[in-house]
Amino acid sequence: MKEIILRFSVAIFALISFGLSASAQNRAETFAITNARIVTVSGAPIERGIIVIRDGLIESVGAGVRVPADARTIDGAGLTVYPGFIDALTNLGLSSQTVSQQRGGQGLQIQIQQPQASQSQSSSNYPDGLQPEQMAFEQLKAGEAQFETVRNAGFTSALTVSREGIFNGQSAVINLAGDTVSAMIIKSPVAEHITFTPLRTGTFPTSLMGTFAALRQMFLDAQRLQGIQKMYAKDPRGIKRPGEDKSLEAVIPILNREMPIVFNANTEREIVRALNLAKEFNLNAIIAGGQEAGKVADRLKAQKVPVLLSLNFPKRTATAAAEADPEPIELLRLRAETPQTAARLAQAGVKFAFQSGGMQNIGDFLLNANKAVERGLTREAAIRAMTLSAAEIFGVENRLGSIERGKIANLVVSRGDILAKDKQITQVFVDGKLFEQKLPVKPAAGTTATTASGATQTSAAANVGGTYAITIEIPGQPLTGTMILTQQGTDLTGNVQTQLGTSTVKDGKVTPDGFSFTSTVEFGGSTIELTVNGRVTGNQISGTMTGPQGPIPFSGTKNP
Amino acid sequence: MKKFTAFFLLQILLLTAFNFAVFGQTKKEVLIRNATVITAIHGNLENTDILIQNGKIARIGKNLKAASNTQVIDASGKFVTPGIIDCHSHAMMDGSVNEFSYSVTSMVTTRDILNPTDISIYRALAGGVTAANLLHGSANSIGGQNTVVKFKYGRAVEDFPVADAPPGIKFALGENPKQTNQPTQPGRTPRYPRTRMGVMETIRDAFLRARDYRRALDDYRAKVDKKDKTAVAPRRELELEPLVEILEGKRLVHSHGYRSDELLNVLLLADEFGFRVATLQHALEAYKIAPEIAKRGTGVSIFTDSWGYKLEAFDAIPYNAYILWKNGVNVSINSDSEERIRRLNLDAAKVEKYGGVPEEEALKMITLNPAKQLGIDKRTGSIEQGKDADIVIWNAHPFSVYARADMTMIEGEVFFDRAKDLANRDALQRERETLEKLDINRPPGSGGTAPKIPSEKRQADRDEAVGDGGNH
Repeated sequence: MKEIILRFSVAIFALISFGLSASAQNRAETFAITNARIVTVSGAPIERGIIVIRDGLIESVGAGVRVPADARTIDGAGLTVYPGFIDALTNLGLSSQTVSQQRGGQGLQIQIQQPQASQSQSSSNYPDGLQPEQMAFEQLKAGEAQFETVRNAGFTSALTVSREGIFNGQSAVINLAGDTVSAMIIKSPVAEHITFTPLRTGTFPTSLMGTFAALRQMFLDAQRLQGIQKMYAKDPRGIKRPGEDKSLEAVIPILNREMPIVFNANTEREIVRALNLAKEFNLNAIIAGGQEAGKVADRLKAQKVPVLLSLNFPKRTATAAAEADPEPIELLRLRAETPQTAARLAQAGVKFAFQSGGMQNIGDFLLNANKAVERGLTREAAIRAMTLSAAEIFGVENRLGSIERGKIANLVVSRGDILAKDKQITQVFVDGKLFEQKLPVKPAAGTTATTASGATQTSAAANVGGTYAITIEIPGQPLTGTMILTQQGTDLTGNVQTQLGTSTVKDGKVTPDGFSFTSTVEFGGSTIELTVNGRVTGNQISGTMTGPQGPIPFSGTKNP
Repeated sequence: MKKFTAFFLLQILLLTAFNFAVFGQTKKEVLIRNATVITAIHGNLENTDILIQNGKIARIGKNLKAASNTQVIDASGKFVTPGIIDCHSHAMMDGSVNEFSYSVTSMVTTRDILNPTDISIYRALAGGVTAANLLHGSANSIGGQNTVVKFKYGRAVEDFPVADAPPGIKFALGENPKQTNQPTQPGRTPRYPRTRMGVMETIRDAFLRARDYRRALDDYRAKVDKKDKTAVAPRRELELEPLVEILEGKRLVHSHGYRSDELLNVLLLADEFGFRVATLQHALEAYKIAPEIAKRGTGVSIFTDSWGYKLEAFDAIPYNAYILWKNGVNVSINSDSEERIRRLNLDAAKVEKYGGVPEEEALKMITLNPAKQLGIDKRTGSIEQGKDADIVIWNAHPFSVYARADMTMIEGEVFFDRAKDLANRDALQRERETLEKLDINRPPGSGGTAPKIPSEKRQADRDEAVGDGGNH
């Protein structure tokens, strides 16, 4: 075990330190990869073949292909070429803070006016979080440096969409290179995305059951709007004109099965609920996450629902404590069984693609795909789930996902089997652009390796500085805010900003386990003393704020 | 290789566990022999057999004949009762049991969030409970729609709802709807209503809107009938549709409340709109208005004790059930708690002590009476020929403090078997040990999150629960 960790961290270090750097050329070069083993995915592997890449496309592929005179030749002897990997669900490239405007919230209004609902210019009648018209495309930021880590891990494309709200918005398939947003886009919109997480703004729905009711009401509203629009188009006389509503307009293609709808659902019952909703409205559904999808494989197959299966396998994160309850056996079983889900889906004939599922280290993607192989999935099926199957689910199989003539030149080249631990990714091509792995060189002692993105992570557990978007879980009325923490050694300063105002961090201390501080908040004319305790794990913050009424939990995420 | 072997072993263990979990897939004939049968309708029958065919009680009598492939259960010295029905439960629900945003949330339904693997239903089966009324919480004047289920633990969620149970809905009166969302957060207007007056106005307003909605639907249909091409269908209002069903007598109202004034008010409001309240829930002061309740045919579903456990319950007395029963009210005893649901038999026994409700009537309060309140008494609630075989076999009279459910069956299938449960524990322990040895189930060497330490407060216990602001 220890050895694995050690070897693994060496691998990571190598990736970070000697990351693939883009070749300097702006113009796409012509390449020929020769003598390589080519895993085309769409057909049988070519044991010793040539791939010619020109103008960002695969010009030709095969054993007897002629190498053009103007091509830069890469000797692929001992190397294997795969189609570039597609991460089937990410939020790559999205600006982390997409502050949506305040809009009206009348669509689901029952009787009580929401005080903050301003009658704005927007033509949506639905509150934030229930706005399916949001598009990932519009939130993308340009620049290929941001993708370096994932590209180094072999990924050339991804489906990307926000994780905010019940409707996450409409996703886009992007290439993980390109200096402008338009150069990155392969297809937009691809699908609408749904997360069954209640709104945290205090507006309906604040519960899981409310979430279902809200979705149902919107689907019905959109059905009705479409009906009236048709009547009105035929003859408007005598009919009150149907109002414009951007949100409902965005639902109509979903109801017409023109746009698939991705439901984030992991457990068996979450998946069943999503399938029931899809059936109720005859939606073209896709399940994302799917940890327990194997248990409902037959239903997925019957409803022709593909799965964007997360490779972020669950593992225990909680430390041991004598006074803690033992973990439920269902949870222990779930962790043991999750790597087998892919094999079960394959066996049942359910189409699936792999996604990173928010994993902290993208290097785990291929390692966990290999775990799925150890648990009964064929190697070919595993590779397909990272390439052509994803492309098929997203309707881009004529451009991506396999090594075929005329397709986009997204390729990953490795020394050794891509699923093996000792593989080495040597080249990645995105849109025909080469990102080359430099040979690892041992760093001279004493020098510090920095990455292009500057994302150096210190190992100390008690590194808590940063800006966090937090939610304070006041029962029934969660309060969102920003916590800014500045750490100097074990001293902590900063503030907490909520709609109650800004509270300054006092007596801030960082301990090996977390942090603590006191603060005050003005509320109802009096000053309330708060004691805050928390901890930071990765980019997650959590803890409690204790006031005269007892402790209130809070949690949040670090803004990058 | 070693890893593979361990894994193989694990698979076998999982399979074994699975086999233990799913009892009796086929609906074979079952004969319960020589029991004391407490029918909850026709008195107690000594040394009696019950023959179960196709999940139904086919025959009740002495020395019944069994076919050769019939499963025979010897219940000599044991007591058999109908399965217990809990008329007020929040088991099986994922997420909040309250949709806090509005005070009228009739558009939500507990059916959407059921968790068929909730361990509390297995524990309820071990306490002889076979069916329950799964209600929305009490934070809202008009809460969400209910689901009446049978606890078919181990089955898919679709198998749980009782298909022919009339739909229902939760109402709530008094402190819970009026105090929800207090103290108010700055920047937010406190949620209306804040008084008992306001609660009644909120409910009345909802019904007035429902009336208008029904009228709009009628107008539309009339236009369509006249072939009016400009007829536009009214927006489907998921909030108002269930209220229209109440007005049309198609949906049962289960109204949470404590004080007699608020209980009477909701009955008067129902008179005004021409429907019947199916049950008053909790209703610890119902004894004060017993004749008024009886006159309307409204049922009452109570706790047997909890006298004075909060301000609203200060006038509660132990004789509530007795007085209501004496006045001809259909009384049931509920748990509102994943913990109390396991011993509703003892709660029923208490009403024998306080006032002297006869034994059979007391037992009915956890079987036939709640079945009637939920509109499922045609199929369950008593041991009668033709009813579903929802049956509990006890080692002693269920009103004894020493009573244990040995076996609980629903529609003739065993969903709890104490002997099998005991026998399975070693296997489960071995499975746990194997699983805990896996890397993924080990605590991390360094870093990691804090483990969950059990709370000193008991979760989800009745109306004073901590988990959901106390609104159950």
